[in-house]
Amino acid sequence: MPMTSSGSKLVSTALAIAAILGLSACGGSDDGGATASSGSSAATASADRPAWCGEREITFALADGFGDNSWRKVTVAEARDEASKCPSVKEFIYTNGQGDTQKSISDIQGLTAQGVNALVVFADQGKAVLPAIREAYNAGVVTVPYRVFPGGEAGKDYDAYIRTDFSELGELWARWLVRVLDGRGNIAYLGGPPANTQNLEQYEGMQRVFRDYPDIRFVGQAPYNVTDWDAARTQQVLSALLAKYPRIDAVAVDFGFASAVSAFRQARREIPAVVTEDSNQLSCMYQELKADNPRFELFTVESQTWMVRTAVRYAVAKATGGELPDVNVPQRAFEDSVSGRPNPVTCVETLPPDSFASSQLSTEAQAAALK
Amino acid sequence: MSTTNPSPSPGGRNRASAAAHAHDAAVPAHEAPARVGQDGRASRRAWRPAGGAAVAITAATAALFLVSLFVQPQSVSHSSLTGMLPFAAVLAIVAVGQTLIIQQGGIDLSVPGMVSLTVVVMTHVPDGDSSKVVPAIALALALTLAAGLLAGVLVSYVGITSIVTTLGMNALLLGGVLEISGGGPRQTTEGLQDFATGTVALGITTPVVVAIALTGVVWFVIKRTVVGRRFEAVGASARAARAAGLAPVRHQIGAYVGAAACYCVAGILLAGIVKTPGVYQGEAYLLPSVAAVVLGGTSLLGGRGSVVASAIAALFLSQLDQLVMTTGVSSAVQNLVQAAALAVGIAVHSVPWARLRERLQRRDPAPAPPSGAPAG
Repeated sequence: MPMTSSGSKLVSTALAIAAILGLSACGGSDDGGATASSGSSAATASADRPAWCGEREITFALADGFGDNSWRKVTVAEARDEASKCPSVKEFIYTNGQGDTQKSISDIQGLTAQGVNALVVFADQGKAVLPAIREAYNAGVVTVPYRVFPGGEAGKDYDAYIRTDFSELGELWARWLVRVLDGRGNIAYLGGPPANTQNLEQYEGMQRVFRDYPDIRFVGQAPYNVTDWDAARTQQVLSALLAKYPRIDAVAVDFGFASAVSAFRQARREIPAVVTEDSNQLSCMYQELKADNPRFELFTVESQTWMVRTAVRYAVAKATGGELPDVNVPQRAFEDSVSGRPNPVTCVETLPPDSFASSQLSTEAQAAALK
Repeated sequence: MSTTNPSPSPGGRNRASAAAHAHDAAVPAHEAPARVGQDGRASRRAWRPAGGAAVAITAATAALFLVSLFVQPQSVSHSSLTGMLPFAAVLAIVAVGQTLIIQQGGIDLSVPGMVSLTVVVMTHVPDGDSSKVVPAIALALALTLAAGLLAGVLVSYVGITSIVTTLGMNALLLGGVLEISGGGPRQTTEGLQDFATGTVALGITTPVVVAIALTGVVWFVIKRTVVGRRFEAVGASARAARAAGLAPVRHQIGAYVGAAACYCVAGILLAGIVKTPGVYQGEAYLLPSVAAVVLGGTSLLGGRGSVVASAIAALFLSQLDQLVMTTGVSSAVQNLVQAAALAVGIAVHSVPWARLRERLQRRDPAPAPPSGAPAG
């Protein structure tokens, strides 16, 4: 006990010193930025720097509410990659809230105190972190939450919220399913924890399409079967559904379907059509599984590990004085085993199973991020 | 006493009835007739066999399967059972470990860390190479046993409460999980998967056999060997045990090491049952393991308990889960049903029904005759 308390005292002292140094450094770099823009090189910059990268030098931070899975690791690597394109970003700070609300809040507060200029926030804890986000915004930090809505309003609580429309994803799934199922069949839709907006939006998107196809039905719980995005739970839920419904023509799932395929083997049932997000593991298993499951077809949408790039561009542009980029984050189809468009099922053997072929990172960079 | 701990040995029963007599003596004379009516209750109490807890939960489980058969026949179909039983077996093994700790008056919050660490070692160390499964098992066992030993030493020698020790141990173990896995799950190996999903005989899968065997062995050691009897005595009262010349510390440490071994076995099986288990796969087992122990009638205060009852309670909880899942009701209703079942199960063991009835009848003596008059 005494060790940890003196340890934390040491850490907090170090943090305080770092904060003071950081503040003074920022003051310095602001001056530097001002002289640079008044001085010279706007013309030379445009050749190698993107339009969203302005002249003012900044410290950039990404505050993650949770950082310990493959998706987040690739996402952070993508954010670093995007920020590195802009030479005005002098420093890139990353904090990991570890799924802890209190830590996520103090991470954001700490970054504000350190005087970062641009802050992208993955607000896993939703509204709980809004006050910290607002504080950062009020302290003059360019604050950009993305992907998970923290509540609040752009221009009042933060600069902008970068969102994606999960109902578009649902629509993409549903249109493919209508084609493959020929307008009729039972669909098992598996989602995360109860009442999460991501799944509700996906469901809404699917319903928009299925409204015209009364012979397509969802089975099990409505609006979706709760799996808590847990591999074992997914397998249990799937085996319960297989036991109850002699006919399941398709599975829609936004979490590791690959982890739950054993449920089909145990129930001695064939794997049907599957719509999901891209995962290297599933793509690599596809060929092998297809041999025993001739009805198995696969359609994936991009996992959007690159979405953070849009948030980075926006935050950097606003903080450095660059040109504000387009903030639209579209949902895009990735693999289609039937048509092969936009891509056939793509297994990247040089990447680990928990990687994403749809990532915009190079294969080497992604492998390094997942190491 | 006999109602809070429903598996009284002869000695326990004597103590309980002595307490009842002492209580009766305090009852004013004018209420004496009420005591006559108690004979039925007293004999009912005496009827309760030594394995009362196991009988109660077995009856409840049998009833649950009957209800399942009528309400939702698909939930007891072959395919449903093959899906449910492996997970029930894993929970049963975890519950056996949890029982050992709770018998020593502790509670083990390090279940998530222990199980997750084992799962991660079993998937990341071999990384698809079946020939490395055995070294991985050795490593997982070494890590969990070391953690169990450390927790046991901290609780018994140093005297830190078990809730604090195991909470800290859990954080330490989850740190290990992150260190090994980096947060990314790995696919299990073919060898382990074939083992954990394979059948031994008559279509019974390996996890079920392992769970039954392990529960049987632990039951035998605790109920039929000297070490086991001492183990329970230490759990009931470490002071009394010390006064009787037993060594509480050794038995307490034994509980933590034994529990760690159980969690490790559960984790190994889980890593084979799920094709790509998540890195925090053990998180889902903490509360159900405690629930199973409580439903099995083991007192949270320590002492007497039954690993068999805990294992059967694990089956009960798993089938209840399967039943509500198969009905397709909303997750809110699922949670309510499970909570209600738990409440009933706990009430059966912990509400002093006999005393409650006595008190109610004493307050209102009028309704007493109808029950007594026709019989007499």
